[in-house]
Amino acid sequence: MRNFVQKTAKLTFLIAALFAFVASDQDARFQTLGHKVMCICGCNQVLLECNHVGCTYSDRMRGELASYVDRGDSDDLTLQAFVQKYGPTVLIAPTTTGFNRVAWVMPYLVLVLGLTTVVLIVRTWRTRPQVIAAGGGGRAGDAELEHYREQARKDTEV
Amino acid sequence: MILLICALVAASALFYIFYLPGKLHFGVEKTRVSYLRERQEAVYENLRDLNFEYKAGKLPDADYQSLKSSLEEEAATILAEIARLEKAGAHSLRGEKGARI
Amino acid sequence: MSQIGSFALLLALVLSAYSFLAGLVALTRKGAGAERLGETARRAGIATFAMVFLAALVLVIAAFQDDFSIAYIFHHSNRDLPGAYKFATLWSGQEGSLLFWSLLLATYGLVLRLRYKTDSRLFAHASVIIAAVQVFFLLLLNFAAHPFAVMQGTLPQDGNGLNPLLQYPEMVIHPPMLYLGYVGFTVPFAFALAALIMRYPGEKWIQITRRWSMVTWGFLTCGVFLGAHWAYSVLGWGGYWGWDPVENASLMPWLTGTAFLHSVMMQEKRGMLKTWNMWLIFATFLLSIFGTFLTRSGVVSSVHAFAQSSIGDWFVGFLAVTFAVCLFFYVKNRSHLRSEHKLESLISRESSFLFNNLLLLVACFTVLWGTLFPVLSEWVQGNKVTVGPPFFNRVNVPVALLLLLLTAVGPLLAWRKTSIESLRRNFLWPALGAIAVGAVLIVVGIRPWKDITYLYSLMTIMLSALVGFTVISEFVRGGRVIKGHTGQSLFASMVQLAHRNTRRYGGYIVHFGVIVIMIGFAGAAFNQDKEQEMGYGDKMSLGAYTLVCRSYTQEDKPNYSSEWAIIDVFKGGKQIETLYPERRFYKASQQMATMVANRSTFKEDLYLVYEGLNQDTGRPILKVHLNPLVMWIWVGVWIMIAGTVVALIPNAVAVRVTAPARIQAAPVGAGD
Repeated sequence: MRNFVQKTAKLTFLIAALFAFVASDQDARFQTLGHKVMCICGCNQVLLECNHVGCTYSDRMRGELASYVDRGDSDDLTLQAFVQKYGPTVLIAPTTTGFNRVAWVMPYLVLVLGLTTVVLIVRTWRTRPQVIAAGGGGRAGDAELEHYREQARKDTEV
Repeated sequence: MILLICALVAASALFYIFYLPGKLHFGVEKTRVSYLRERQEAVYENLRDLNFEYKAGKLPDADYQSLKSSLEEEAATILAEIARLEKAGAHSLRGEKGARI
Repeated sequence: MSQIGSFALLLALVLSAYSFLAGLVALTRKGAGAERLGETARRAGIATFAMVFLAALVLVIAAFQDDFSIAYIFHHSNRDLPGAYKFATLWSGQEGSLLFWSLLLATYGLVLRLRYKTDSRLFAHASVIIAAVQVFFLLLLNFAAHPFAVMQGTLPQDGNGLNPLLQYPEMVIHPPMLYLGYVGFTVPFAFALAALIMRYPGEKWIQITRRWSMVTWGFLTCGVFLGAHWAYSVLGWGGYWGWDPVENASLMPWLTGTAFLHSVMMQEKRGMLKTWNMWLIFATFLLSIFGTFLTRSGVVSSVHAFAQSSIGDWFVGFLAVTFAVCLFFYVKNRSHLRSEHKLESLISRESSFLFNNLLLLVACFTVLWGTLFPVLSEWVQGNKVTVGPPFFNRVNVPVALLLLLLTAVGPLLAWRKTSIESLRRNFLWPALGAIAVGAVLIVVGIRPWKDITYLYSLMTIMLSALVGFTVISEFVRGGRVIKGHTGQSLFASMVQLAHRNTRRYGGYIVHFGVIVIMIGFAGAAFNQDKEQEMGYGDKMSLGAYTLVCRSYTQEDKPNYSSEWAIIDVFKGGKQIETLYPERRFYKASQQMATMVANRSTFKEDLYLVYEGLNQDTGRPILKVHLNPLVMWIWVGVWIMIAGTVVALIPNAVAVRVTAPARIQAAPVGAGD
């Protein structure tokens, strides 16, 4: 008998823990998914950050999200349901399928291209012949240059 | 009333724009020498910076010497050209005066 | 009244068109006649300022006189609007803000035209370019967005009022700051294009425009962050940056402008990157026009797209013409932009600037791309998509971290080339310091392996520490040299050091401000929030705080009616403050606005939003945010401004004992 009580207690505890786990897991999912959709009332805010009380859209959308999560729909399915109902602008960022992939790829592509260009530029510039800035009218003699060099040195002592 | 104000405003604007008594003073055209002076100042600034950084202990000796000598070379070339141009300028100025007299 | 304004605008258009055309003709001819013509063009430019100023003055007076016969005043003001906001009417609507744009441009043009003696030919070219931009804005004002359009039919008794979101003290100064920044880039742009067109020898134009660029950049920085602060305190969603198209519009020219301020040093010091700088300033100008266009045309939807109208086409046309002109003169005169030096090493100040520019531009591209992608998507696949914060953060946070790293490394690299030995010498201590900071943070409880935002946060703070230590070491090393010369205290020496090279050390102070801001951003990874209905005596806990609702009430004022709650804040069992979150309903415009109650400390902000009354229970719903380190952002901005001001102070001239030697030497050298 005591054994049975102990077993039941253990089982109850386990089930409670499982439920708690599921609940917190669901809450976390609600939070993550709620940050992946926009409120569509025109406020341009993330659904869970829309702070209009009485905003009919965000309350309804939150309810829908909660029901999907409760039902145990997968993330994809839930987001799909939102897209079906409110159109693709409801998703906060472009998806990673089809043409939308371009949105994600471009910045990195530009970074890589830019890096390559900079490295190439540096390499060509290192071998570029030096343009003599003060040209024209014949070159000064070595002794004369040495004199001016000395002058520059004196002028710029700290 | 409004018409009068508008006419007055327009008249004073036109007067300001087109009434130019006396001789106008303009700045001089930029010469090669003044361009070189600017460059000289830039190179000098770089040299002073370099010296300062060396004194602050930011540069190893070898780096400092090579950077310094290339900057001095640049400065010297510019100074030489300034001197040459100024000498030529002084000559031609003398020449002009002579011609006028 | 309105007739005087209309007349002033029309006359301004005529005068600026004359200034442009006469200036253009004068520049292509030679002789005394051309010079006189040029002088009349310059004076017409000055007179344009007087006319635009008159028009703006008339509009402001009309706002104060509640002259609702002018449609603009009717739409953006009302009788009970407080005085400061009536003044702000000038820039709170489309027509007014275009007039304001024009006024600022005319003012910058006035300063430029009064200082023409510095280099009259260069200034004449720049003046013509500014006149051309002015003509565009005056065309808009006269024919597409007339601020003095009159109301049809019976005169209304009262106006529609100012958008309540804009009835906030910062809104009085935010747009002017931003506009000063946007418009200000016209001046360096005009000088750059002028220098290219006339094949101006040397880099003097950069020196001339240096202060303009820095002042403009400072204003833009202020404007961007005032906007962020306004969003934080008014929009009430607990954040300061939402990657909204209009925010992005102000960030883009800031990014390219920042790149320009850095890379232009390479041109000044080494005569390199001339083409690049030219295009950077072109891009900055085009982006600031583009920003105005985004805000004003309604091409992309946005929380604060204030106006949607047809002036978009005008802007597209202007952008296209400007780009074509830039491209034409670049192709024509590109040989003028040849570099004077070669790059000697990959590890040098020069290449660090190249990478800095690359990263800033990638960030700018990302912002532009993300802002315009919805439009592109609609065009390609037939439907709009949303590009929200996650997109921008995913790309820009790593870029910002790399930029921070460069901010630390760049200033320590020598021009031309830097040896490993020198790197070691300069970096050892700051790097060890940064690692120590990271270790302390992990001990304190940041767990970077748990979430990528924590990792980013930790890295941001570590890199910020690295920048901070390098800045300090720069000041200390330099200060010691001066101390050795003069025997002053170290602090006095550091002040003197900064005074000797204000741009450089002012720049370091700006960098220091940047890292303080970055630390503030890093705090966002640890934001918390909670929403709850709060009746009399109800309690709520968040973080270390306990909130108790003492009361809630309603009130009626001439301009608006409001509801608010009185919330006592307890910490550790002791009451520390009482907060009054509020929600207003503005009568004239029939709109709601939130007045956030915020208890801000260096550690965190306790940010209370009154969301409204629960219809069923009649009790208020409050949302509470706990946002760590936000105050650091605002402090950092002040440091950045201080640094910019320092950079604007003229350098103290070091006493040059050796100066006479040059005077003696020159004749010797020049002698035969």
